[in-house]
Amino acid sequence: MYIYLPVALTSINVFLPVCLGLAVGLLSGLFGVGGGWLMTPLLMMLGIQPAVAAATDAAQIVGASTSGTYAHWRLGNVDFKMGFHLLIGGFLGGLTGVEIIKILRVIGNVNFLIKITYVIMLGVIGTFMFIESLSKLKNKTVEKKDKKESGITKFFKSLPFQIHYKKSGVTHSILVTATVGYIVGILAAIMGVGGGFLMVPVMFYLLKMPMNIVIGTSLFQIFFTCVEVTFLQAYINHTVDILLAILLLIGSSFGAQIGAIIGKKIKGEQLRILMAILVLMVTVKIIIELITAPSILLSPAGGH
Amino acid sequence: MKKLMIFFALIFLIVISNNAWAKISVIANHDHITIDLFYHGSTVSVKGQAQPGSDIVVKITSPDGSQVLRKKGKVLDLVWMSVENLQFDNVPNLYILRSTKELKDILKEQEAVKNKIGYSALKNFAQITPVSNENEKEELWNEFIKFKEKSKLYNVKADIAKSEENGQTHYYTLIQWPYQAPPGIYNVTAYEIKDGKVIDTAQTQINVEKVGILKMLSNMAKNNSLFYGIVCILIAILAGFSVGVLFKKAGKAH
Repeated sequence: MYIYLPVALTSINVFLPVCLGLAVGLLSGLFGVGGGWLMTPLLMMLGIQPAVAAATDAAQIVGASTSGTYAHWRLGNVDFKMGFHLLIGGFLGGLTGVEIIKILRVIGNVNFLIKITYVIMLGVIGTFMFIESLSKLKNKTVEKKDKKESGITKFFKSLPFQIHYKKSGVTHSILVTATVGYIVGILAAIMGVGGGFLMVPVMFYLLKMPMNIVIGTSLFQIFFTCVEVTFLQAYINHTVDILLAILLLIGSSFGAQIGAIIGKKIKGEQLRILMAILVLMVTVKIIIELITAPSILLSPAGGH
Repeated sequence: MKKLMIFFALIFLIVISNNAWAKISVIANHDHITIDLFYHGSTVSVKGQAQPGSDIVVKITSPDGSQVLRKKGKVLDLVWMSVENLQFDNVPNLYILRSTKELKDILKEQEAVKNKIGYSALKNFAQITPVSNENEKEELWNEFIKFKEKSKLYNVKADIAKSEENGQTHYYTLIQWPYQAPPGIYNVTAYEIKDGKVIDTAQTQINVEKVGILKMLSNMAKNNSLFYGIVCILIAILAGFSVGVLFKKAGKAH
């Protein structure tokens, strides 16, 4: 059965966005990431204009992160205090990132910078996670290393405004959490995604939060980021296609719940190694896209 | 002076009589296409009559306009990226052409250009910016055609069926109307061709418009975007939350 989308102005088989939503929602629930970095390119492959794909994706992430956040909140996995502090930085970082994009658009080659940012960020994060998780699965020597206080940890402890985050069981300066949120916010805006796949490793490796709390808190932060993005895209750019968003939501909401349940059954190391493989696969795909000559040298304008 | 008047009178008579012979007609059977929630394109049949022995070309176009596309290029001799925006002016968004035979076999080049029949003719009117020379324009135009054909918005075929009956040519063609064509009014022009020249034309229109809930939603998204934005967020939250509640029991099991 086909459905015509009122904003995307295209006809699509209902089955496609529902399945797409289910697959990406599953990853969202499993890893605590919004899935924007996967969904937007996949929607474009279905023939949706880039601008509509990116904006509609934000709307579906709102739904996916609602059910995901709800599921993790019931499981006691959301550190609201940490989430709010990250959000303060993330919001300001997002605004800075949007300004950076504006400047880069004037200079030119903004797409090149975005894809290179994707390759570097995903490549570094994926490789680091993969090596670390693999060595942790093989032996427990890494855990011993973690117990040693690194230079960064010492520096974090020397900063003022230390706050204890009871749910996460960690103590950090609010300057650290807000700055982390700010940097991730900038990168998320440049890369056009919610920022979950950046926030998850940062919270786990840098802020030393437990993985289950990381996932719940990440979903909570993504929810608010995407509410803001959805509203602005609908209000200013008129690019949110609500019918497409509903179809994606039907799939992704169920997918996120299934993901959260499966996530409870898988060990943290296994979860991280799976995510590392996924991140590396996307990195390789972008690299192939970058170096392979396209069949048509023109593409639709829009998106970012 | 008298000779001159006779000459003009003769010319006038020839023109009058030519118009009397040329009686091409065009009928599009599905001239009002409605886009509803379950729209997936349509079919349009175009038929008509012309003088015996004529060839026919049917052209369906949207009005000429501007389009911005991104050009991909190799950066640092290593990676392929969108390198710049290209503006295509004086080009239609949709261009469907049907003919009884291949265009080169029935129509002189200057006639094709004059009537914008065929991709080569369209190229003469198209403006591409920025472009540095004719070779580059040619390359970009070919890419533009490839892009449009892939989007199903441009196509050219020699598949008009014609038959001679009662001293007249009857023609017929069935066109798959692409769902990618946005709402709007499209012009259908039938050209009657003899000896490489267009001797008569007939026109009709196809109106494509949104109806029902689809029209309401797209109007709201465009004209009441503040309300639409809030509705989008509420629907998203409600959908996500409902599924969360549905899975409550499943969650408790773990």
